[in-house]
This record gives sequence, C-alpha cells and structure tokens, in this order.
Amino acid sequence: MAITILAPAPPPAPAHNRRVSTDDEDDLDIDDLPSGHATHSTNIITPGQTVTDDVQWMRGHGTFAEADSTAIRSTLAGTLQKTNKLLSIVPLRARYTPEIGDLVIGRIVEVQSRRWKVDVAAPLLANLLLSSINLPGGILRKRTSVDELNIRSFFGEGELLVAEVQSLFQDGSASLHTRSLKYGKLRNGYFMAVSGMGGGSGVVRAKRQIFTMQTARGGEVDVLLGVNGYIWIAKHVEEEQETVGINRLEETASAKMYSSQNDEISLETRREISKIAGCIRALVDGGVKVEEERIRWAYDANLELDETEGETEYLGGERGKAIVEIVLGGG
Amino acid sequence: MPLDTSTYSLAHLRVDGRRWNELRRVHGQISTQAAADGSSYFEMGNTKIICTIAGPQEQRRGGNSGQSHDAKVEVEIGIAGFSGVDRKRRGRNDKRIQEMQHAIASAFTHTLFTHLYPHSTITIHLHVLSQDGALLAACINAATLALIDAGIPMSDYTAACTTGSTASYASNDEAADPLLDLNSMEEQELPFLTLGTSGGDDQVSLLIMETRVQATRLEAMVSVGLDGCRQIRSLLDGIVRAHGKKVLEARVT
Repeated sequence: MAITILAPAPPPAPAHNRRVSTDDEDDLDIDDLPSGHATHSTNIITPGQTVTDDVQWMRGHGTFAEADSTAIRSTLAGTLQKTNKLLSIVPLRARYTPEIGDLVIGRIVEVQSRRWKVDVAAPLLANLLLSSINLPGGILRKRTSVDELNIRSFFGEGELLVAEVQSLFQDGSASLHTRSLKYGKLRNGYFMAVSGMGGGSGVVRAKRQIFTMQTARGGEVDVLLGVNGYIWIAKHVEEEQETVGINRLEETASAKMYSSQNDEISLETRREISKIAGCIRALVDGGVKVEEERIRWAYDANLELDETEGETEYLGGERGKAIVEIVLGGG
Repeated sequence: MPLDTSTYSLAHLRVDGRRWNELRRVHGQISTQAAADGSSYFEMGNTKIICTIAGPQEQRRGGNSGQSHDAKVEVEIGIAGFSGVDRKRRGRNDKRIQEMQHAIASAFTHTLFTHLYPHSTITIHLHVLSQDGALLAACINAATLALIDAGIPMSDYTAACTTGSTASYASNDEAADPLLDLNSMEEQELPFLTLGTSGGDDQVSLLIMETRVQATRLEAMVSVGLDGCRQIRSLLDGIVRAHGKKVLEARVT
C-alpha cells in the first residue's frame, strides 16, 4: 500500500474566550423574566457574579450577599429563577437534595440497632427507622425487641429498596419510610444510576414515578424512577389474589416482601429490561429529561428502528441519537 | 540556561518566545467524566491536569468524628510517573505532595460554602498527566472548574498562577523584571512564587514561595501575579460560560 501524506488539519479554534465579564455587561432584565419554577432565563450566571444591586429582591438558594453590601451575588454556575420577589440560581448540575414526599431508590449502607443508613445519592446518608417500615404479620403490628434483633432479616447491607422521604433533619439528611405496599425491597430487576433532580438532565419529579410497561416479547416490566436519579427496572410480578381472610393475605404478602430471592426471569424479559435501560441511557445522553411518557416513546421508537434497521443490543451512538430525535419529534 | 540573560535583555523574549507578562495557552473542559459528581480537564501550557470531585458525601467513619458543622475538604493528588522529565515514583506519603494537598484544601475551605453541607466531605482528586511548571496553580484552577461542575456553592472563582523574577537570588540584581507564568525550565533556576486569589477584588487565598528572593523584588512579583490571576479568572469564566451555553442548548424542554 502506498504511503499517503495527509495535509495537517487546521488546529481547532482555541477555547480562549477573552471576554471579560463585567457586571454591567451582563445586566440581566430581571423584570422581564417570567416568574415560576418551570421557566429560567437562558443567561448563564457564574460564581461571584452580581445578580442585582436592587434591594427589592430577596436572595434564595445559590446566592449570597456580603455583610457590608446589598448586592446579591451568585455562588453557582447556572440560570436565574424568579419566584415573585425571590431570586435563586438553578445550577447546571448538582447533587440531589432530598425533599419531603420524594420517591427515592436507595441502597442500604449500614445496619444499626434500630435503623438503617441508606445511600440515596444525597450529601448525607438517609435514615430508615425500624418503626417506619411495614413489619411482617400485619401493617399495624407494634415493633418488638425481637424485630430489633432480627433487623437484618428485613434489610441487609447492599440491598436495594424504594421508599419515600418522610421528613428532613436539621442537617438536611432525609428520614425515609416504606409504609405502603408500593414501597419496600427491590428484586427481580436491574439497577442504574443517572443524575437526579438538582439541575441537569435526568429524572424529574412527575405525577407517576412507578409504572408498568407492556413490552413486545418479554411480558410486563416495572420501571421505578427515583427522584434521586436511581432507576430500577424489574420484571412485573402479579400480586397473588388468594381468597383468604384479610389477615392471612397480609401474612403471605409480607413473607414475600422481605425476600431477597429472585424469581425465575426469562431470557426475553431480561432482554427487554436491558432495552429499556438502553433507551433511558440514550435519553440521558441526549439531554432529555427522563419521565414516563418519554421512556414509552423511546421504547416504541426503538421497536420501530429494530424493524427498519435491524435489531441491535447497543442503544448508544447513532441509534441513541435516532431514538432521541424521534422522542423529541413527539413519539 | 533557563533564561538566556544575554538575549533577554536585548529582545525581552523568554526561551519559549513569550514576553514577561504573557500567560501560556490555557485550555479547559468541564464535565469530562460522567460518573463523577464534578470533573474537569485543565491545561496551562504543557501542564495537564484531570480533576474529579466526589461529594459532598457522608464523612467516612474513623476519622475525626468530632461534631464539625461544616463540610471537610479533602484533596488527593496523584502525579503520574510519566508526567515529568525524569521518571520518578512518588509514594502516598511524599511530603511535597502532602503540602500541596494541604495548601489546596485550605484555599478552598475559605471560598466554598462548607456550612451548607454539615457532617459531609468533599474530596478533590487531582491527576497530573504532564507537568511543565505552575503545577500547584494548575491544580487549583482545575479544581475550581470541577467544583463549579459539581454545583458546590462558592463565593467566587479561585484562580492561581505563578510569577518569577528574571534574575536569580545569587545575582542580587535589584533591577530584575518580574515574569508571569513560568515553565519548568524557568522554575528550576529562577525564584518564583505561586499566588491564588479569589474574586475580582484580589483577595489572596494562597501564596507559596519556596525559593529565595530579595524582598525589594517581591512587590513587583506579587502585583504581576495579581494581574495574572485576574486574567486566569476571566479565562475560567469563559470556559464555564461556554460549557453552560452548550449544556443549555443541548437541553430540550
């Protein structure tokens, strides 16, 4: 083969942005900005930048004022959000901060005498008290010392669970509860972590965080979107409807509730689970917020592409871009 | 000969062709690693650094579990064996690295709003891929970018650069000019200091000098350094804005 000498490509334009940001230049029209949570300005604000000198505004998250001045300055790189007279900065990306009522997926890090420490991707580990889980043998049973001794029979280290943020402590760490049949231990599925609430793409707070998808060949698959960015995709297991007394039903349900044993999952179901995970990953890479409708669209888009372009297992790269395009086009 | 004194006095050009007040090429990228809470890649000339941030996350057990109400800033520096001119293995307990880690940690403890994250730790991992002078300054600039990416509140950018003097200590030349942003050849023979400032109003958060210089030359060096830090700050700001613009354009509603 003959050796060819390629002409050197021109160097990429240097990233030097010699623009010196003075505060007058970036004068924002705060008055023009619509108020509300959904809308931010498209202006980037960087740390240390003065947002406004006007005393009529109150400073919210992501801002500070020095002791001897009234100027509100930013502490983050992000966009401005106005809520009535409150100015806050929404960061481009940040760690998840828990709020009461959030549905989160967590992993047990530590077992203590009456509580578990749960990793929910927040700055601090969350607490799950023994008294805020459903104990086997009836929802309204009182917690006993035997339960304390058998604490590892409910949740052990490394196990995954879905829970709701019940309250927040003074230092911002969350207290969780699983006192609902929707919540509890996770099994039969696949775990993935994307970025959660707190700016950036990822999972957003939506009406429904838990839903069931009918897949093409693998039967029904449950998708649980934790607001903290943790996602669980699992085989859907029908709850057994036995015609027994109410107490009996509770006992059978709860015996299974804390089981760590996976059911038999067919190859087809596993394949569908990994496809849904691939779709979610493609959405995240494409900067699309992850929610129920978008995941359904992405999954359907992938099915169509499977027919037209042939089936692939890897849903990144070109295929990922195609999926995102179809989703943005409206399903 | 790091700085050819015979030609410098004639043309006022340094060995790499810069003038006394010119920075080397500065290049930075943000969000280079998706798995980290914050990450950046930063180049100052041929000094190349990767920085990743872990946290704020729960403090590890065992350390000082005292009731501190602020987040702790930890720094870990890894200098690759191939990064310098001589292949040197540096252990974890290298005193120079430890000192740099401490200097960086204390510089950021003052600008970050650590009181917002009680009982937690922010770990800054710095990986030096290539070193050609201004190592500490490049580490600080890389860490600033990564901390911004991690969304950790700070009062302002922390920008750092080095300044030197055109004559060595021994030559005792009172008329020596200050130099901005030394490369490693210049660092080896000339006196220099690393200066880090926070904010446009020149709050010095870090000043380290390991060589000897006459006190009369110091003032000029510091003032050139302050100006250099201001330039670095505006370059960092440009990098952050360019990244933010890209993110907002990619984000669809």
